[in-house]
Amino acid sequence: MSDLPTTIAVSLLLLAPLVAGGLSLLLTGSRWLHVANLTSIGTLVAAEVMIARSVLEQGSLTAFGEIVYIDALSSVILFIIGTVGLACSLYMRSYMDEQVARGVIAPKRLNLFFFLFHMFLLTMVVATVANSLGVQWVAIEATTLTTTFLIAFWRRRESLEAGWKYLILCSVGISLALFGVVLMYYSSLRVLGDVSSALNITQLQQVASQLDPHILKLAFVFLFVGYGTKVGLVPMHSWLPDAYTEAPAPVAAMLAGVLETVAVYAILRCRGIVDQAVPPAFTGELFAVFGLVSFALAAFFILLQHNYKRLFAYSSIEHMGLAMVGFGIGGPIGNFGGLFHLVNHALAKSLAFFAAGNIHRRFKTVEITEVHGLTTVLPWSALALLIAGLALAALPPFALFASELQIITALGSSGLPGEWTQPGTRFPIVVLLFCSLVAFGGLLYHITSMVWGVAPKDIVPGEQWSVGHVPIILLGTVLVGFCWALPPPLQQLFEAAATLLISR
Amino acid sequence: MPLMTPTIGSQLVDLGSALLLLTCFGIVAQRRLSACVDLFALQSVFLALTATLVAFLTGIHHIYIAAALTIVIKAIVIPRILKKVIERLNVSRELVMHINVPASLLICGVLVMIAFLITQPIIPFGHLLTRDSLAIALAIVLIGFFTMIARQKAVTQMIAFLVMENGLFLGATAATYGMPLVVELGVFFDVLVAALIAGIYTNRLQDAFDSVDTAHLSELKE
Repeated sequence: MSDLPTTIAVSLLLLAPLVAGGLSLLLTGSRWLHVANLTSIGTLVAAEVMIARSVLEQGSLTAFGEIVYIDALSSVILFIIGTVGLACSLYMRSYMDEQVARGVIAPKRLNLFFFLFHMFLLTMVVATVANSLGVQWVAIEATTLTTTFLIAFWRRRESLEAGWKYLILCSVGISLALFGVVLMYYSSLRVLGDVSSALNITQLQQVASQLDPHILKLAFVFLFVGYGTKVGLVPMHSWLPDAYTEAPAPVAAMLAGVLETVAVYAILRCRGIVDQAVPPAFTGELFAVFGLVSFALAAFFILLQHNYKRLFAYSSIEHMGLAMVGFGIGGPIGNFGGLFHLVNHALAKSLAFFAAGNIHRRFKTVEITEVHGLTTVLPWSALALLIAGLALAALPPFALFASELQIITALGSSGLPGEWTQPGTRFPIVVLLFCSLVAFGGLLYHITSMVWGVAPKDIVPGEQWSVGHVPIILLGTVLVGFCWALPPPLQQLFEAAATLLISR
Repeated sequence: MPLMTPTIGSQLVDLGSALLLLTCFGIVAQRRLSACVDLFALQSVFLALTATLVAFLTGIHHIYIAAALTIVIKAIVIPRILKKVIERLNVSRELVMHINVPASLLICGVLVMIAFLITQPIIPFGHLLTRDSLAIALAIVLIGFFTMIARQKAVTQMIAFLVMENGLFLGATAATYGMPLVVELGVFFDVLVAALIAGIYTNRLQDAFDSVDTAHLSELKE
């Protein structure tokens, strides 16, 4: 069901990072590496726009004989991958070059960095567009393998530790998800009988209501815990703060903004199938409980942080938790709020890590107490940090305020799913509001202390304009803009995706 | 099948699965790292034999490919990588254990029971030939998971991860006569790359910490 232009767009989507990854190993000189990188990511974004348009006009599409399946939900995720990827690529132009110039890394290692970066992009795109749940699993495990060396890229003791922890914890989590996939296949084989396509989403969706609920329940628990490790839900989150602190800033932005989102997407995909055979309250309850616990615990951890990168890491756990609550409540508002929150969080968190990267390079420390007077030392980064911080604290006029409000509205109107809360209980809302207040206080307290004050004497003030500032300004503008008005095509896309998520 | 009646076939598959589980207990009880690697290789051989048996009894050809890959990758290549790592690192034994051997074995016994309990409601839906293997597969996954937590050496953790993968593979073969071939190839590729990466890590960890004891990996704290 795909015409020629979409087939070309899908091939470009997959080929761009693959070719650029291959070129990264061959090219010499940072200039050409960046050219290859930006060309590839530009192609990726263009292909995504074409695909999104076709999805809006004609609904879901398949390509290459049902190997690729794209609907509105995958288009939203592709949109996030493209946007954050583009922002990171622009930022890397100045960030990586400075690291080479300062002699932190040998110029040769830049090739490895870009190779891994492209493979990371490729695996995420494959995970998003794969029709088979099995292929999706393979791609998500591959994201672990490609990112672990990116996290350990500086090769310090701490970064090696963070990379190893990430590799082991995520691989184990993902193995559990594979058991879930096997069970899913087990249940679908009994209905479909066809060996090769019984894991395809297109096939599963048609027969979902006939699948056995016992097997599906067990499968979903394994899938949820497995991919939930990758999302960083409490209590499977312990790799996350270390990885975000040690990874180079653009990598941290990609991990926080995109990788988590892709993992959430994998869970949502499976949920769409499970919900048709099992009462939706079952999956909704898992989403809501894990989401709420992650949200609440992370909010308190934000208060305790003394390292600004860890601060943002815990804020990631918090916002992912909130998005999960939104998906758990379900319905048009809950699902839309959850999706919109994923997008906004991706944008705000990349902005935060770009600012953090700039600060780290100048101050050479990640301690909050040793960073003061950013307004005089790095005025642009100070502004970026302030915008990111206020946005992550969900203040108006930033987009996260809009999405958080939607989730809280959904919670107020329909309450948490499942039997353990009576209809009309205010308890979850009170918890949610209180914890967001705690997170708000924690973020603002830490960030204001960094932005204002007197700068340490040994730090050279002044910020030179670079390419790295372009994505900072763009992201800041978009974050404010999305609060007031979503561009109509995006609005339609999000609404179409939210409709897909509503369980029948 | 003319050669074997389904009952004998299913009993043989059960025997193969049971042998896999037995090697799991061996790995948990063993302190010498190189012996752990040997046991893992042995387990992979049992896995390949079980898979071949299933392929023979059902006549599904692509399971043969998976069985052959199991022999090559999990019984030959990966054990070699791990042996090289152990040789280079000069660590032969798991010295400090969070949980000692008898207690570990006891816990593993409980895990097996839990696995049978969880899979009880869904086992009757399976194929007649291999349905008991699903419970054993889950038991192996859980034991691998436990070993990962209970042991400290990077090499042991890697073996535990591979044991989990073996359990998953048994589960896939038992419950569904294998996954689609593309998926199976992808999983093999991932496992192989994971083993290579872990090998590189142990080298770097050795250089940075003079040890591969993951207890030293405690610099990142709140």
